[in-house]
Amino acid sequence: MMVLRESIIMKIHYGTAIGALFLTVVHILMRLTQDFHESLQYENVIANYENIGYAVLLELLLILISVHGFNGLRVILLEMNQGPTYEKAVTIGCLIGMAALIAYGSRTIIMTSMGMV
Amino acid sequence: MERETGAREGLKGWLNPGKIGKFGIERLAWLLMRLTGLGLLAYFIGHIYETSHILDGKAVWDKSLEMTQTTEGHLFLALVIGMCVFHTGNGIRLMIAQMGYGIGKTERPDYPYKPQSINMKGKACIYATLGMAALAMWYGMAVMFA
Repeated sequence: MMVLRESIIMKIHYGTAIGALFLTVVHILMRLTQDFHESLQYENVIANYENIGYAVLLELLLILISVHGFNGLRVILLEMNQGPTYEKAVTIGCLIGMAALIAYGSRTIIMTSMGMV
Repeated sequence: MERETGAREGLKGWLNPGKIGKFGIERLAWLLMRLTGLGLLAYFIGHIYETSHILDGKAVWDKSLEMTQTTEGHLFLALVIGMCVFHTGNGIRLMIAQMGYGIGKTERPDYPYKPQSINMKGKACIYATLGMAALAMWYGMAVMFA
């Protein structure tokens, strides 16, 4: 298994945090371009997904937050307990969780933006 | 290498209020960073699941949306906003500190051994972040309850 140095992982953690922060601001501002409740209506949300630029933004946001979130969870779990087997299990478990969430979220974004609803 | 299991308190060590009283606002920020991180990850997973309902048609989407359109739903979202703002603000403070800014200059450790890194700048940032989180929650509620 490829092993990244913790210093590199923390740089990825901070990089994903800054990227996610900017994209989250855009994501929230999209809700405020019209009345909050109205922006969440089915037709408006479908229109959002069908805008290719916004769909790309959502995909990037999904990847950045998943990487940041599951790495954060890994760090918390490693703070609580240590040991070679435990550390490997936590790292693999978090990678699987991250991949599963990205796959599930991507399915929604791709299918909706392609009009498969 | 032998493991020092006696020094490991796990969750009990996290949630012990005595530790916050003993180590101050920095300890509270440490705890809140972890709790808000876990809370936001749980919310994110739920959000990804909830938005996937768009694939099941308008009726399912509207039913799913109804959950967040209640008073409890709005209060929950306001809590998420507060967690998000605190986690972001405190995260930026930690990044700046790790780059070496605002943690004082190195000097000889003399009694009473006050660490340079735990200073008023850091404390002020934590209080400001808590204040911003409260303001963001208030603004979020104003928008949602409008």
